[in-house]
Amino acid sequence: MSQASSNTQLDAVLSTRVRLARNIDKIPFPVRLNSIEKQNVNFGICRFLSEKGCDLTLTEMSSLYPYEAISLAERHLISPEFASASEGRVLLMSQNEEISIMLCERDHLRIQCTKQGLQTQEAFEGAQIYDELLSSGFRFAFDQKLGYLNQNPKDIGTGMKASVLMHLPALSATGAMARISATASKLGFSVRGSYGDGASVKGDIFRISNTVTMGISENEALTNLKTMALQIATKERAAAEELIKDIGIRDRINRSAGIIENAVLMSSDEMMELLSWVRLGAVYGAVNADIPLINKLFVSMQPATMNVLAKRKLTENERDEIRAKTVKQIFR
Amino acid sequence: MLCQNCKRNDAGVHLKRIINGEAAEIHLCGTCAVALGIGDTAGSFSPFGGVQGGNLSHADTRRMSNKGIRCETCGFSFEDIARTGMPGCPDCYRVFAGKLRPTLVKLHGRAVFNGKGPSFADGQEASPDSLSELRERLEQAVREENFELAAVLRDEIRSLSEKEVQ
Repeated sequence: MSQASSNTQLDAVLSTRVRLARNIDKIPFPVRLNSIEKQNVNFGICRFLSEKGCDLTLTEMSSLYPYEAISLAERHLISPEFASASEGRVLLMSQNEEISIMLCERDHLRIQCTKQGLQTQEAFEGAQIYDELLSSGFRFAFDQKLGYLNQNPKDIGTGMKASVLMHLPALSATGAMARISATASKLGFSVRGSYGDGASVKGDIFRISNTVTMGISENEALTNLKTMALQIATKERAAAEELIKDIGIRDRINRSAGIIENAVLMSSDEMMELLSWVRLGAVYGAVNADIPLINKLFVSMQPATMNVLAKRKLTENERDEIRAKTVKQIFR
Repeated sequence: MLCQNCKRNDAGVHLKRIINGEAAEIHLCGTCAVALGIGDTAGSFSPFGGVQGGNLSHADTRRMSNKGIRCETCGFSFEDIARTGMPGCPDCYRVFAGKLRPTLVKLHGRAVFNGKGPSFADGQEASPDSLSELRERLEQAVREENFELAAVLRDEIRSLSEKEVQ
């Protein structure tokens, strides 16, 4: 049935991700390798992990339909960049999808661990297991002063990009995100919309990530990120508690719930907007809805992921119809 | 007054910069000012030029032209790095260390790596640049009229000299 409002400051946090960029020394970066050389790098890494008994599923990106690759990016398992070109790229993924290792993205290795909620340290430790294991078999490109030598000079140092995915409808509605983003930027964080282009953010979902990789340890960066995420979550809560008192906002939330209950067709953009309002209402007790299911639907009702679930390429009308039917389940 | 960079055209862009507390005047022609990433209206050094979204500007290429040196591992020249905005392999960071330094300083400040390295690097210590090496590079930077690199090197020399005195 419906999820009661838990009303903690962590309601805004959806998930935490840590990504480590690593390269094997004395081997050019993937962009400078031909397909056979990339295959050799990939084969060496896969064989090593297999010999070490790692239970990871191997996917050659070139074997996927384009929508299957895009779905992996929609589900945050790979980078959009990794989905955009398939040649010589391999994805290794754990069964629970917490660990994903991209081979021959911009760097030879991008080791990623995702955890639900705010778990910066746990996500780092998850990625570190594979980092340490792989560094016992391969000599990573490393310099005592510059740290890990990666393709993009911005990524040298720890090579760690840690991020927290947050739903921030109240801060968006009150126009506070631009100011928060500017402040976060000065403190060494980037705040970006996770869905939609740069101009418009869909579903008020933002990714807050560290930009500083030099002069700071991984643990310091993780602590700083956690502090930043908690501060933003506290601000979101304060803004939401004020916002929810406004009759106009409560009307907006309930109208959104009404549309979800009655719609026959629903586009992805419309769903993101409606779910964002209803989630805000559900967290603060204005409506009854299943919050964990809303979190899942933000991802699973994206166009490419719907094709994957249907195991075929659906038409836009078919997707809109299935989406309208599925989204109603948040009230059951 | 002739442009300090090409020494052919008349200088139409005049800038004053404070380097280590000393005012330095720079006089360039319009073409060189644009090539060096000094906008005619911006009036300040641009860390990134307009080269394919890369981190190194065309200005960096011109100023730091390395006369044919190539990385043995990937075959990249410094011009290739500047053109693509990315080194071709990890060894490029070593081969073109001096030339990449101003860009890395722009991106990361003076910070050095402070994280957890791989196990093979445990116990190794970074070898600091010696004063003589730094002075040599400063002289080269001045010869190439690479003012940004010169400022960075001058700071490093000053800081290292102070440490040695202590």
